[in-house]
Amino acid sequence: MSLVHPHSPGETRAPLIEAALVNKSFGTAHVLRDVSTRFYQGEVAVIIGASGSGKSTFLRTLNRLEKHDSGRIVVDGIELTDDVKNLDAVRREVGMVFQQFNLFPHLTVTENVSLAPRRVRKTPRAESKRHALELLARVGLQDHVNKHPHQLSGGQQQRVAIARALAMNPKVLLFDEPTSALDPEMINEVLDVMKDLARSGMTMIAVTHEMRFAREAGDRILFFDEGRILQEAPPQQFFDEQRNPRIRAFLGQIAH
Amino acid sequence: MNGLLSIWPRDWSREQRSTATIALSGVLLVVFLWGVARPLSALPEPIGPAALEFAGGTRVTVELTLVAGLSGIAIGLLAAVAKLAPFAPIRWAAGLYIWAIRGTPLLVQVLFVFLALPLVVPLQLSDFTSAAVALAVNVGAYNAEAIRAGIQAIPKGQTEASRALGLSPLQTSVFVVWPQALKIALPPLVNNIVALLKDSSLAYVIGVVELSNIGNRVQAATFQPVPVFVTTASIYLVLTTVLTQISGAIEARLDIEQRGR
Repeated sequence: MSLVHPHSPGETRAPLIEAALVNKSFGTAHVLRDVSTRFYQGEVAVIIGASGSGKSTFLRTLNRLEKHDSGRIVVDGIELTDDVKNLDAVRREVGMVFQQFNLFPHLTVTENVSLAPRRVRKTPRAESKRHALELLARVGLQDHVNKHPHQLSGGQQQRVAIARALAMNPKVLLFDEPTSALDPEMINEVLDVMKDLARSGMTMIAVTHEMRFAREAGDRILFFDEGRILQEAPPQQFFDEQRNPRIRAFLGQIAH
Repeated sequence: MNGLLSIWPRDWSREQRSTATIALSGVLLVVFLWGVARPLSALPEPIGPAALEFAGGTRVTVELTLVAGLSGIAIGLLAAVAKLAPFAPIRWAAGLYIWAIRGTPLLVQVLFVFLALPLVVPLQLSDFTSAAVALAVNVGAYNAEAIRAGIQAIPKGQTEASRALGLSPLQTSVFVVWPQALKIALPPLVNNIVALLKDSSLAYVIGVVELSNIGNRVQAATFQPVPVFVTTASIYLVLTTVLTQISGAIEARLDIEQRGR
């Protein structure tokens, strides 16, 4: 957690990611409406909102798994367009963790983590393996490195997915509802890893329903409603001094 | 795996069983090809005197199946990828190929390559090559559908995860999608190759001296169809059995989740 709030007004550093007036429609459904925000190095931003509010879609536009229809998204100085070279360059720097883990079932845990460094960064086999084992130890999976994904619990699979994303040494990690597909008793092991990452200074943007994580690890909460950012605020202010009736109602529903 | 090695020895791993089965089947096939003349020659008339011909015909059948089978898998992969291409004309071309080949008899295709093709393009292929081309193109169309189904069965999340890691579309196909698709496509692919082995008998109509051709020749010379065709069919049966053993072993190897146990 950063000590200085990174999104204070008068911020002069260049943002790591900038979204300006981003719009996106699926057919007739207008899912993102003029979304503008900035994410800074070292920041932990937590995106919340009801399902269908556009929060996952927005996250997925940040590494162009979804194309935005209009507006501008600039990641690490590169604007996201149809230019494939730029896109691959951006994706190397932006890690992503998915709700359904999306581990590669035909590869071992270690191979899952070392695949991208070997093929994309051309890291030698031995070095990429060493790095993979290091990362797997960091997420507490040193005893499972030679297993295949199906032999692991959901929580363990998601921790492998985090290690896999970290293996590319990304500048920012995107989390798309990382605990929503997990059994309740496995949620914490994943959240603990995420909190560790946040503490280590990793830049993170997480879509989640875990309000405790948002409060404890987040620097800023973004609340999405009907394709818009309805409110951005630091967690303490967002949770404890919430005045917006709509958000209060949402938080009330989530709380029980 | 349905072979003997699937139950014994008990303490072998899935990989060991698979490797052993593939190795053993390969050795069996080679031994069979080299040595089949020997037991055949010990048989009475009309098989014994024609043992060398039967052995030669068997070799040609296996060669034809190997050449057409391997080319057919390459063609099938190419056509499957083309059928899924983002560029519509490429999809149409692949669809046209699959439609035309699956909608016409293999016999006509074999005759077409041997007799009609030289009139269309200035290229006269030997009978063996003509048969191999026709069989490869034919099995390729069926393989394309098997492989396409395999590729489409891979969840979108796999591609997304790979692309999000920075792997290119080609790397995503080679390292993530195709290995998983192969596992799904393998049973129908093996069906196609077994069918190909049997269909290679159609090469007989353009004069390729393969197993069925030999059978027919020996029958015509001796007028003893029963022993001749029992022998011919038995040799096919040995070959298809070896083939399914090998494929079963590959399937077991790819079955990482051990669903087949």
